[in-house]
Amino acid sequence: MAALDRANEPQTPVQLRPRIPSGDNSVWADVSPLLHAACQDLQEGDLIHGDNFNLYAAMSALEIMDPKMDSGMASTYYSLDEAIEKGAAPVPISADKTTDVRCIIDIMDHLLACEATWHKGHSLAQTVYSCLYLLRPERTSSHVLLHSYCQVIRATCKAVLSVVADARTHEEEDLFVMAYGLPLSGDGKERCLPLLNAVEETICRQLRASKTSSSKRRVSEDIEPLQNNPDLEEGYCKALLCRLRFRKHFYHLLMSMKRPQGGGLELAREHIASCISEIGHIRKSSDFLRASAPEMSEKNVENTTASGCQPIGFDASLNSRLSAPTPPRAIKIFCLEKALEYFVKLLHDLDVICSYSLDPSLEAALLFVVKFQKSQPDLISRAHLQLLLVQNGKLFGRYPMFSMITRAAGLPEAAENHEFQKNQLMVQLEQMVINLLKIICTNAAWQRRKLGKMLQDLRVIHVQLELAFKKEFGNTSNNENIGFKIFQHILVWLEEQTYWIAFRFLTVGFELELYADHDYCMVYWYIYIVLINLAEKKHLRIAMSSGAGKKKTKKKRDSLKDGGMNYQISDAVKFLQSQIYLAEGLGMMLAALRNECKIVPPQSPFSTEHEIFIQQFDLLLKACLPESISYQTYKESTAQANFSTLAMCDYFKVAHKMAKELKGNFANDPDTMAELGRIEQVAERNNIALTVISRLGSADPSMKISFTLCHHPFFATAIVKRS
Amino acid sequence: METTNNKDEPEICKLDFNDSDIEYISYGGEHHLPLIMNLVDEELSEPYSIFTYRYFVYLWPHLSFLAFHKGRCVGTVVCKMGEHRNTFRGYIAMLVVIKPYRGRGIATELVTRSIKVMMESGCDEVTLEAEVTNIGALALYGRLGFIRAKRLFHYYLNGVDAFRLKLLFPRPEMHTHSDHGDSQILE
Repeated sequence: MAALDRANEPQTPVQLRPRIPSGDNSVWADVSPLLHAACQDLQEGDLIHGDNFNLYAAMSALEIMDPKMDSGMASTYYSLDEAIEKGAAPVPISADKTTDVRCIIDIMDHLLACEATWHKGHSLAQTVYSCLYLLRPERTSSHVLLHSYCQVIRATCKAVLSVVADARTHEEEDLFVMAYGLPLSGDGKERCLPLLNAVEETICRQLRASKTSSSKRRVSEDIEPLQNNPDLEEGYCKALLCRLRFRKHFYHLLMSMKRPQGGGLELAREHIASCISEIGHIRKSSDFLRASAPEMSEKNVENTTASGCQPIGFDASLNSRLSAPTPPRAIKIFCLEKALEYFVKLLHDLDVICSYSLDPSLEAALLFVVKFQKSQPDLISRAHLQLLLVQNGKLFGRYPMFSMITRAAGLPEAAENHEFQKNQLMVQLEQMVINLLKIICTNAAWQRRKLGKMLQDLRVIHVQLELAFKKEFGNTSNNENIGFKIFQHILVWLEEQTYWIAFRFLTVGFELELYADHDYCMVYWYIYIVLINLAEKKHLRIAMSSGAGKKKTKKKRDSLKDGGMNYQISDAVKFLQSQIYLAEGLGMMLAALRNECKIVPPQSPFSTEHEIFIQQFDLLLKACLPESISYQTYKESTAQANFSTLAMCDYFKVAHKMAKELKGNFANDPDTMAELGRIEQVAERNNIALTVISRLGSADPSMKISFTLCHHPFFATAIVKRS
Repeated sequence: METTNNKDEPEICKLDFNDSDIEYISYGGEHHLPLIMNLVDEELSEPYSIFTYRYFVYLWPHLSFLAFHKGRCVGTVVCKMGEHRNTFRGYIAMLVVIKPYRGRGIATELVTRSIKVMMESGCDEVTLEAEVTNIGALALYGRLGFIRAKRLFHYYLNGVDAFRLKLLFPRPEMHTHSDHGDSQILE
């Protein structure tokens, strides 16, 4: 700044006026001599800084001209204008119409590859918008084919971007939604489809004309062919048509899915089917395109175009200055085949969402999302699901959350409009359920962190509700009062829900590979504890809604597992029981292996198993899930485990038997059937492993035991080998 | 931040040297900085500016160590510590051992020295990030008692996820009950 103010220096030939005039309290002064003097005193590594600038702030500095840091450094062109001037993106691409069409198909293919790469978490500027034709919408207007394609790409990007931005999927979205300085909406959606349709129709006619003989053509239709070579006309027409139609249906699909209250899902499914069919045609066109390329290329898995040629008009470095002020991220654009695979998966995932019955049940919605997440859907489909689930604070935009909660809690319909829904705690609870629905749509890493944090909030609201309940009704039991019932049911439902989240929190840890082998023992033990509580609350909730609520307010933890109850246990609870036995069996088998020194935990110089336990279950322990659980409880319940007693306990046999028997009750529920099958398999294999270990004697030094998750996402199977 | 990747270790030809030939030195001043920067720039994927290095070594020189073999710097660890949400937390920013010297416990020794200083300085816990694909580093920290507390999606510039690793130091009140048998805590 000091250098700016040289206006008063008589020896300065160029008179510069300060941009900011001196004020009443400030005056411009030349500090160059002061800086110069200060430099003389500086040692290497010294830093001159203001009070508000520290070493931590200095860390955000980027070093210019370091290729690892300076994302603007490796540009081929200084500006878009320069790139255009030097012919990097000519319009038309070639004066020869055949070459022009061939190059346009390459551009379309490379754009599709870029689009898939963008969806997978890279910046828009460095993927799709590395296409120079997209950056200047007006430049392509003379070339109707290229123009229509660029328009629909821009509109599609805008639509996808808004879905992800609205869903606020956080860490994934950071890079994804960054679109500063990119011409996304220049054309407006209203014009993108008519032009595309017109182009499609023209090419349709050209295709028809190409199939008739040249003499007939002149008579029947006065159609200018797509390009000059009659032998290639049909192939190029077909290759273009499937690409254009894919774009059209994909755009329609996005618009249909956006309709409020899931109103466009059926229509969306039709467009999904069309998109998948067009992808098939794109694949089929690749042999023709490769054969028609100027240089015959081998089928290369790395190619981003079907022809195998490099596309014209792309430069990823040009936009790098539009990226956030961070070092450049490595981007490898998908090859065309991988991009097509990505889109097929995306379309299948969207189809699963569109096929959902929009059942007005919270439990069904939660289970649907959990099942959906098993196929590891990507960001775009998860964002769509989230926006479908929660609209205007209602489930699917249709059902108020309070009535969904009362239904889930097994309350009669009369409760749905009770004034209790205006209660501040209920409003909070509704918000938490909305958050839960959103959280379980996010990626597993983010989801687990958020679920963990949510546990404590749910416990706090449970305590508050309990206090409000006592204040309102004291210790009297007033089963006929609807207010009393609402409190009572919601409290039980909330506990069940909290344990369900805790269970999910623990099991997602396997998917994220957060547990080391030597932590498995405590993890299964904790899963067992959480499952017991979950089963107990679920049973209580089901029993309450069927009117048997009074009987079971007090009972021992293990009474449920032992089946020592004098009323019927539902299938849903029996299903949990089979998981309880499996978790307990695994916990005890691992404890026996530890106690008999077949698994040796690391001997850290800095911490003990106690600290590991506290860290692994910190959030559960803080939320008292359940109360009075500590490292001591874990130690005490696993200290005595050994193989001679373990074989007698039959955990795996019972789990296997229960799962097998239950299959008959879930004949109409393929998902639960599949899960029961997996439980059966893991239980059976672990039972065999246990028998082998017991027979050989765990002292056998040649015996090696390891665990695998190949039969179930979180219940491990033991593998016994003798070396 | 990061730790050097050990997974390609078997392919590297190992040098023959005695463990006692390795000399460990605490960060001693600006003359050590180029040595640290060279190692990190060469071995780690993330770029760091000179300001990042200075932030660490100027504010916490006693937490950074260098390993030398016959005058050549073969490994280094750079750390910090400070308040983090009501806890006093140590943080391991960079850990590097050059390939020919890996698998001999140099990284463990370097990081152990830093952790000891953190513990003596009153830290409650130590954290760091490591690439989920960095099996060597994950095993090293696992042996020292670190758990994988979180997975961080696409954390690194190369697109790889990270694990946030955490080591909790024992607190006296936690060990009031008998914890015999597994408490070779501290030396």
